[in-house]
Amino acid sequence: MAGQLTPDTTTPAASPLTAERRPARTPAPLLVRAGLVLLKRAALLAALLALVFVTVELLPGDAAKATSERGETAADLAARRELLGLDRPVLERFWDWMTGLPTGDLGTSARGEKVTDLVSGAFPNTLLLGGIALLLTAVLSLTLGCWAALRPGSRLDRAVSGTATAVLALPEFVLAVALVLVLSLWTGWLPAVTLTDAGGSPASWDMLVLPVLALTVPQVGWNTRIVRAALADEARAPHVETAVLDGLPPRRILTHHVLPGALPAIAAGLATSTGMLLGGAVAVETIFNYPGIGSVLASAVTDRDSPVIAGVTALTGAVITGMLLLADLVRYLLTGGRR
Amino acid sequence: MTADTRGATPRTATAVRILPALLLIGLALVGPWIAPHPIDTPVTAPYAAGTGEALLGGDQLGRDVLSRLLAGGRDLVLASLLVAVLVTGTAAVLGAVGAVRPLVGRLVERIADVLMLLPSVLAILLVTLSWPGGGRFAVIAAAVVLGVPYAVRLTAGAAAPVAQAGYVEAAAAGGERLWYLVVREILPNLRATVLTLFGLRFVAAVYLVATAGFLQVGPQPPAADWALMIRENSAGILLNPWAVVAPGAAVALLALSVNLAASALAPQTGRKAVPVQ
Repeated sequence: MAGQLTPDTTTPAASPLTAERRPARTPAPLLVRAGLVLLKRAALLAALLALVFVTVELLPGDAAKATSERGETAADLAARRELLGLDRPVLERFWDWMTGLPTGDLGTSARGEKVTDLVSGAFPNTLLLGGIALLLTAVLSLTLGCWAALRPGSRLDRAVSGTATAVLALPEFVLAVALVLVLSLWTGWLPAVTLTDAGGSPASWDMLVLPVLALTVPQVGWNTRIVRAALADEARAPHVETAVLDGLPPRRILTHHVLPGALPAIAAGLATSTGMLLGGAVAVETIFNYPGIGSVLASAVTDRDSPVIAGVTALTGAVITGMLLLADLVRYLLTGGRR
Repeated sequence: MTADTRGATPRTATAVRILPALLLIGLALVGPWIAPHPIDTPVTAPYAAGTGEALLGGDQLGRDVLSRLLAGGRDLVLASLLVAVLVTGTAAVLGAVGAVRPLVGRLVERIADVLMLLPSVLAILLVTLSWPGGGRFAVIAAAVVLGVPYAVRLTAGAAAPVAQAGYVEAAAAGGERLWYLVVREILPNLRATVLTLFGLRFVAAVYLVATAGFLQVGPQPPAADWALMIRENSAGILLNPWAVVAPGAAVALLALSVNLAASALAPQTGRKAVPVQ
């Protein structure tokens, strides 16, 4: 759970500067603004990577010790520490970690393998799963939210909002188990486990249905509430009232007057859902034996392999940054031109 | 809080929506004492179907599912409660401090921006794997750290108008200490926000603690834990579905009922919907 209902629509870092230039609307300030947002997102990502390093570093225990076998001597341990580079000074390792990431080097696992090699096959599968789930979430939550907003206070509105609130707290793994039991084991409609083809991808599309559903349902609940709240907020704007007084049909008011203003908040909500989907995928993939980062992380859990999870968090952090940038873009396209 | 005028009086309606959560939490807390069998000794064959002796059958080692179900919720509920209390308390204080000292508020805001890039499930894995000896404490600590920045946004938003109220500014101008302003002047006015926040954080904590259990970084075998039971027994789901369905339903009901209670406590916003029609 991201922990906040209305996602923050962060004001751009340079708002005082841009506010006075807005009336001119030459292309240059727009580019400058875009550059500043890009810079801010990059800085936040760098801060996350530093935070991940510090977390792994400061908490007691290191990768060499955590993965040590019973009966291993101190000399063996020291040798492995050297192999993993853990004997080098902290600052040097920090530098390597931060500079390695942009080049695609996600560090070395406790078993001495490159984390990039471990996740390069699995991560695209997780992105496929998360991408479909995100698309489905966007379509369903927009539809449900608008549908409810057209009949405010009605039984339908209450039913949609109530159901959305109910399902948003369900852990994905509980949903996944229920779906497997009902739609697969009892009825036999859909496969319970994901089989992979020679390339390591899911062998057929129907193997994606259940994992996607398990991931989508809570996020639809979450985002429907955001859509509903954003539409209600925007509906109080003066231009909407004017449209109502002009006697325009409700449907047209919704699509032409309310929705455009509400979209930035909705886009930010969906971008925030990316993180929830990627996190939830870890649990859901284990249930369906889906060949994604979930299975890589499951073996990392067994091995107590902290560098692997550090590398994966760096990767997901980059993906979420990308989605937030898309949300930024939506906001600029919709508000930059009008105001 | 605007009154809910539909049906019963607001107070009764709120009580009715909070009751399921309280009952379930109560049952989970006393469960370990009313379990008919010990949780770690086999009483049936592995994945045996339910009988009079073991109503919900046996799990993967033939242990009584009903007893493990009764015993397996207490730690989840206690850990989630602890996380919710710690997050809410910290956020209330930080939010109040941030309202008086804007620099603190901005710092917390930036931290929240960074943590938004870190999916909570991955963060729990990161902390528990980097801290192998941390055990349950690692999960709780991680959940608290992850929850506070978001929670502060809510409390800071509620504290800002209070901090600008005349009597707080008068007290500040009178040279009262920061601590006095926060504890005596601002926090007492945040009761409604804090109650709402507590409900929301409890919902979030149940999700996180349960998912950590399922990913095997929380309670370790042979402990009885709903999330871990789902993981352990899923191989035998066709032989004895109850071994998975019962703990699954328990987690789902806990999440749903706590969520229902949290939304009953929350002020009704967004009811003033689109004024079309």
